[in-house]
Amino acid sequence: MAHVIQPLDQPSNYKDSQTRMDRKRQNETLVNSTTLYIGNLSFFTTEEQIYELFSKCANAADGGGIKRIIMGLDRNTRTPCGFCFVEYYTHAEALASMRYVSGTKLDERIIRCDLDLGYREGRQFGRGKSGGQVRDEHRQDYDPGRGGWGAQAQRLEVERRRAVEERYSDAQDGPGAVAGGGEEWKEIETSEGKLKRGRSPEDEGDNDRMGRRTRIDEVTEADRM
Amino acid sequence: MSYNRQSRGGRRHYRDDEDDRRRDIVESPQERLKFAIIKLGEADPYQEISTVESRIRELAPPDIYNLSESFHIGVTEQPYKIPFYAALLRLLHDNPSKDGDSFGADKNSLGKQILEEFWKGFQAYVDKLMWRETRLCIHFFAHLTSAQLISPESFAALLRSFTAVLDEFGVSHGRAKRAALCAAEGLMIAGAVLTLHEPAFPGEVITSIQTYTETTGSGKWIVQPVVRLHSPAVAVENADELLDTALIALKALESSSFEGPYPRPYSEYHPPDSSLFTLFSLPSVLVPPEVIELETLSSEAEESEIKRQEWPEYFLRLFSDDVTPDPNTPAGYAVRSDLLVMIDIFEVNRKEAARLLLEYPKWVAPGTFKPKPGAPPPEMEHLVNHDWQLESTLLETMLGASLVLPQSSQAQIYYDSLITEVCKLSPSTVGPAVGKSIRKLYNSLTDGLDVEIERRFSEWFAIHMSNFNFQWVWKEWIPDLDLAIQHPKRAFMRTAVEHEIRLSYYDRVAKSLPEAMHALEAHILPKQAPGPDFMYDDTSKPHHDAAQSILNLFRGRAKAEDVIVHLDTLRNTLESEISDTENVNSLVRIISTQSLLHVGSRSFSHLLNAIERYLPLLRTLASGGVTASTAAGNLEAKADILSAAALFWKYNPQMVAIVFDKLMQYQIVDPTDVVSWTFLHVSEVDESEADLRAPLNLSAFEWNLLKAALDKAIGRVNTARRKLAILRKEDDDNRARAKASGGNMDVDGETKPDEPVMENPALAVALKAFSSLTREQKTALSRTLEGFVSCLAPSPTSLHPNPKAREILTEHSWHNRANWGKEEWNAWETWGWYRHFCRAYSPYLRNYATTFTAVSFARFEGQSDPASDLLQKIWDVSTGQE
Repeated sequence: MAHVIQPLDQPSNYKDSQTRMDRKRQNETLVNSTTLYIGNLSFFTTEEQIYELFSKCANAADGGGIKRIIMGLDRNTRTPCGFCFVEYYTHAEALASMRYVSGTKLDERIIRCDLDLGYREGRQFGRGKSGGQVRDEHRQDYDPGRGGWGAQAQRLEVERRRAVEERYSDAQDGPGAVAGGGEEWKEIETSEGKLKRGRSPEDEGDNDRMGRRTRIDEVTEADRM
Repeated sequence: MSYNRQSRGGRRHYRDDEDDRRRDIVESPQERLKFAIIKLGEADPYQEISTVESRIRELAPPDIYNLSESFHIGVTEQPYKIPFYAALLRLLHDNPSKDGDSFGADKNSLGKQILEEFWKGFQAYVDKLMWRETRLCIHFFAHLTSAQLISPESFAALLRSFTAVLDEFGVSHGRAKRAALCAAEGLMIAGAVLTLHEPAFPGEVITSIQTYTETTGSGKWIVQPVVRLHSPAVAVENADELLDTALIALKALESSSFEGPYPRPYSEYHPPDSSLFTLFSLPSVLVPPEVIELETLSSEAEESEIKRQEWPEYFLRLFSDDVTPDPNTPAGYAVRSDLLVMIDIFEVNRKEAARLLLEYPKWVAPGTFKPKPGAPPPEMEHLVNHDWQLESTLLETMLGASLVLPQSSQAQIYYDSLITEVCKLSPSTVGPAVGKSIRKLYNSLTDGLDVEIERRFSEWFAIHMSNFNFQWVWKEWIPDLDLAIQHPKRAFMRTAVEHEIRLSYYDRVAKSLPEAMHALEAHILPKQAPGPDFMYDDTSKPHHDAAQSILNLFRGRAKAEDVIVHLDTLRNTLESEISDTENVNSLVRIISTQSLLHVGSRSFSHLLNAIERYLPLLRTLASGGVTASTAAGNLEAKADILSAAALFWKYNPQMVAIVFDKLMQYQIVDPTDVVSWTFLHVSEVDESEADLRAPLNLSAFEWNLLKAALDKAIGRVNTARRKLAILRKEDDDNRARAKASGGNMDVDGETKPDEPVMENPALAVALKAFSSLTREQKTALSRTLEGFVSCLAPSPTSLHPNPKAREILTEHSWHNRANWGKEEWNAWETWGWYRHFCRAYSPYLRNYATTFTAVSFARFEGQSDPASDLLQKIWDVSTGQE
């Protein structure tokens, strides 16, 4: 259905200017992308607010859901600087957000979504000279949702800001700083299983113990049914 | 506008999106013509028909394929223009005579060639069961029949092939509904011509549809938008069922000689000269069976995709007949059905959808809608004067579609965002209609509005307010604070405020509420901003030191193994501190889980980091003992983890749901554990609110936990099914290849037995996963059913029986609901969620109908109990056993 009107879920001209992918690979990646770049956020908006809005496009019964949210931070101050990444489990959910959420308000600002190539280490930080987003350095006008001394007149905003400023003070960088959010379901092998596999780095669990657990579950389930 | 030349005469590309090609490519004359056809009538439909006709004739030689495709796009993507496309095609049937005066028509006309080509596209829609496109083409053919281009015999035969679907054995409601609408709407438009040709035909179609709708009674009962526990009758005052409205409108048209509300621009043209012209005779079609219905006959039945169960569709009415069209009238039905199909077609771009909806009045007879304020008075008197309000009509249609049970056809957020866009385009006219709709829905909460509708209503309300500065006149609802605390109106206010806070923040929403709603006893605004509640935070609390010792390890980023070792020591210390009745393992689990959540309480990401870093610890906790000493306690252990999480976030229901979701995602707990926990332990969570929760009952919060768990279980099966399908296909391909290459080697004609193909290990793993996940799904569903049964028909010995679960089932009690207290409304809501569970998960429950019936209902056999009777009736209807 694209003859009479233009669908809203097409990738825009937004791109990660520092990606090393060639154009063709970028396009292929976007066609299956499960990640969105979200822009024009208020500096005060929390991950939970973002979760709430974007969960409206989540489709758990199709194997989807919100995998993780990565808040964009000022490189120097470690405070939110107005963007984030939302990663779903399925591409369809990312498209739904483009159609139904992009261009609506969150925290009283019109937010913008774009299909993204996927989070990579380091992308959680702003790239402006001052540590924030480049976009903000070009801005002339005062924007209360994005900080500036004018907002201090408002008590509520001051309190919100304090909470936000402290929140990410522990933010790390480097490998493993950002959580994965949980992978797809995997069979947990029983201790006596012949299919015992080698440990993968993300699988730190004690297979033996888990195995026993699963087996017992199956027994009780069999009794139940 | 793309036109793929390579596809000419080959594969069709009606639905292919090729628009990513840049627009600056120079368009060919054919492309420009196509664009002109698609844009037909945007300024003045009546005037433009002949202009476009000339443009088509001017471009020689005609490209029939391109022209037909243009008509297809026009008809299937802009249904409101169908009468005008019919008129255009009518003009193209004329052959310009030598002296330049167009007159007469013959079989070689451009129009006829286009129609022949157009037919092939229609045939393809039918073959692929593209119902919407099929139905809209039937509208087009109906107009062409009225315009005397298509023979009435052949059009009647076409409609008969759709009514024939209604007689199929075991036809699904979805299929029957779509086929019936095709036949009904075709007849509505072309009824006059068809009656002329065969007077008994309309009656035949009506009887056929009516016979079908008479079988849908029990289905209607389960999806009607009000909950009526005392009556098996379908009693809906403020809503209309889609097929019923079609039938009533059709009957009204029949009794008025099919004086329909449709624009017929072609009626002004002279009739084609019958001596030169033969009517186009539509070839006969057969509506093929649904693909999915065939699939279930295959050997791997349980691996096939579960088909969404379709039910009768009720659309709520929010306004009176003089404000918005009554869909039980021909004109009202036509408007409603146009708007509904537009909402579906333009789903890909809600902003354009909003614009086109607001422009809709220009496509219907003047006088259908009230003119815009300030519009010049009409030049001539209108033929119709309904004077409906456009904005109210749009709101009623959009909300109606979004509140269809058990689920709307599009995602709910689409309708929410669409309403926002319509408001943004015309705030001053749409705003009041939104306000009236909210009030109307709110007031119907008293009369048993379905609990799922209430839930969607509160979500929409919060989303809408979030887009419009949280401006709502809350103070008009202050008098309702005197109602029982669980009265649907108060429950609605509470949920709406909770959702608003989630999208915004506590102080912002508090500011928008009147003082009376700040009071604690109002139970509207929570007593504090939703934050964590770490049980061991206070130094005076018991086990504060134990918790600190764990926290210190977490904060120092100790290894999970070291924390586990520490917990062993800690258990010994604690054992001496607690009484005999307390369970030390359980205590250690709760302290550890709460401490971990405390480290992860700053944000969703912090939570994920904490969980991921200490996954081995969580797994050990979930496995039962502090160490791996015993595995038997694992169900209890997982319940402890869930309880600790629910307690930690007791002031923030959103976080409870998030933590549960991630605990399932990381496979610390299974969906079944969440279901069990919800029925068994939720009421223990918050003592201060125990008042609201105990005895056992379900509100929207608990329902959301259940739904999330069930959907997780179902989603995993779906993912596993897709993987399996891919692997099976790969496997089949490999076998085929092996066979083929084996055949080539086979030179001496000796027939070797099929070489055993290497068993694909990935396939074996996928099969195993699919079967364990299917088992888990079944258990989660069974547990839910069992939970509801024990809530609603509690045995005399059960722990927290709701005393009112049976009492409220009588008609007398319902009429006395003004005096209902907390417990009555609690029980009522729980019944509502049970009903929704059964109909929403019906496609899955059906698969296990026999087992589940035996497990959950056999115990009631021979008893006469209104509660168990109703439980079973709802169950039977939902699973298609009645």
